[in-house]
Amino acid sequence: MDAETLDLARWQFALTAGAHFLFVALTLGLSVLLAFMQTAATFTRKPVHRRMTRFWGQLYLINYGLGIVTGLVMEFQFGLSWSGLTHYAGNVFGASLAMETLVAFFIESTFLGLWIFGWNKVNRWVHLAFIWIVTITAYASAYWILVTNGFLQHPTGYTVDGDGLRLVDAVAVLTNPSTLYAFFHILGGAMVVGGFFLAGISAFHLFRRTPEHDFFVRSLRTGIAVAVPAVMFTVVSGGIQMGYVRQIQPAKMAAFSGSESELAALQAEAVARFGPGDYLPSVAAVRGAGLTMIMLFLPLLLLGGISLLLMAFRPVVLRFRLWHAVLMAAIPLPFVAMIAGWVFREMGRQPWVVTGLLKTSDAVSDVSPTAMRASLIAFGSVFALLLLVNYWLLFRTAARGPAAATLGAEPAEAAGPVLAY
Amino acid sequence: MEYAAVALLALYGLGYLVLGGADIGAGMLLFALGKGDRERRLVVSAIAPAFLGTEVWLVATAGVLVGAFPSLEGELLTALFPAVVTLLIGWVVRDVGLWSRGRVDARGWRTVCDVAVCAGSWTVAGAWGLVFVGAGEAGIGRAGPVPGIGSLMLAALVAAVFACHGLGYAGLRLGGAVGARVARTAGRIGAWRLYALTSAAMALVGLGIGTRLPLLETVADGATLAVLVPALLVVTPFLLAAQAGMWWLFRGRVRGPGYF
Repeated sequence: MDAETLDLARWQFALTAGAHFLFVALTLGLSVLLAFMQTAATFTRKPVHRRMTRFWGQLYLINYGLGIVTGLVMEFQFGLSWSGLTHYAGNVFGASLAMETLVAFFIESTFLGLWIFGWNKVNRWVHLAFIWIVTITAYASAYWILVTNGFLQHPTGYTVDGDGLRLVDAVAVLTNPSTLYAFFHILGGAMVVGGFFLAGISAFHLFRRTPEHDFFVRSLRTGIAVAVPAVMFTVVSGGIQMGYVRQIQPAKMAAFSGSESELAALQAEAVARFGPGDYLPSVAAVRGAGLTMIMLFLPLLLLGGISLLLMAFRPVVLRFRLWHAVLMAAIPLPFVAMIAGWVFREMGRQPWVVTGLLKTSDAVSDVSPTAMRASLIAFGSVFALLLLVNYWLLFRTAARGPAAATLGAEPAEAAGPVLAY
Repeated sequence: MEYAAVALLALYGLGYLVLGGADIGAGMLLFALGKGDRERRLVVSAIAPAFLGTEVWLVATAGVLVGAFPSLEGELLTALFPAVVTLLIGWVVRDVGLWSRGRVDARGWRTVCDVAVCAGSWTVAGAWGLVFVGAGEAGIGRAGPVPGIGSLMLAALVAAVFACHGLGYAGLRLGGAVGARVARTAGRIGAWRLYALTSAAMALVGLGIGTRLPLLETVADGATLAVLVPALLVVTPFLLAAQAGMWWLFRGRVRGPGYF
């Protein structure tokens, strides 16, 4: 295989999956918050809950819509760039991808459309069911993708047969600890992202003294109340994982701790087992990403804990502008931690695409470097534009506040500006 | 089991071409059917409520392909690399246009988004033409066909089928001035008959691709199919029911602008 094609294909997948992960983290976190807001709105019929659902729902949809397309591309990249992987391991990991698309994503997408365009068209209880179905299937989708990813990290339930793998134990694939640990860890991380997003944007409006006190005090409190336990849950679920990862991927943890002697021993062991080659991941990438992820926990927990105390006092919530500014500045931190955790997990697996079975360099498609470079440039520029448009639209829509939300507006309201022409 | 896997692939693939193809076709005709900002918003409203539920059929098709025909998926996508990359870029651009157009209340912004929807739709349709032309090459391990004049014309014909199908769909969804324009373009054939005709043409496109693929030869291992196929057969009726519910809810003609 062409070494240049390999590098280009790796960059392409990393950019696609990385961009997708940034979108997904916020989508997963916000969807739960949104489902609870709409539940409150449906049960209590209080206007504030309905307005919260519409405002935060609109931000959720911007992020969802621009994020969904990166996922579409990613699904096709397995075959486009990594046909060696589908050829060798497709019998096992292809099935979980198929389940993700049909059991989870198909329903999620259909019901998201129903939720967006079903406002004021269906009974409010039915509409509430729509958002819950979207939320639950979003998490089901995350589970199935992590079944695929968990298999690549730590293959289970297979046997080697000729030049490929064969499935022997579906239950072992579905209950792979590498999948389950990561699922709960990411679930917690997504709630941290969502919680700080809610708190930060609410703080922005409180800072600006937007006359929507009740709305943003509630939103800020919700965000913090979710973020603090989520940070602790994420830390604990990450900590529990560490010992397990040391067992299944010792090189990942050796690179993380940067221990030269351990790395040398693992390299020698791998050479004895698999023949000559370089079997260690990049220490700089794995250690840098791992430390970034872990060190961010401290400021987040500290800020969350202090905020938990401060938010008990309504005058403080309304007037403590320094605190507002800090909360605004904290919005990106959980995103950084998420992406660092992802780099740690994925770079730490190299040079393997399926740990111990198939090297990344043996999985890349037989495509010319020119074709791969052209597609990398095309996808790279489109995704860069997507992220820019996403964060600009999110900021703009967030800054305009709840009064400008058009999602779920009564038909008369929606027609207002049109009639004025 | 092998035949059930092929049937599932056909179901989702044809479902995409008929349902999702209509959205692509209508997007291609966005500027032809919608004169001015307000009318274009109506055309978008004809596409919008269901587009999430129609494009997902292609995701499902890719899912069945990678699950039940994993090595074919790799070889097919690699062999058709330029066409598939083009398809994906067009799809992304179209979707971003759809999602973004209503988010900023400025005429210039909406025009840019409409151009994205229209250009993206053309790109997708053209790429499907290339996939149609190149489908026979898959499995041979060649790095993609070099299209001659004949195959390029065939690809253009496939793209034209998408556009006609979009016209048929728009005729069913739109009334008023835009609907009248659709009816004039379509001639005397009538909206339902046109839609049925173009749906059949789209299905032929799908069969033209599918029948040239070495499906039975590349089907996944029996142990995989024994788990995957029954699971997919169980969920499929639920997915179809959800789709039916969606179409029932959005069955009426477009009366005014929607969220996009």
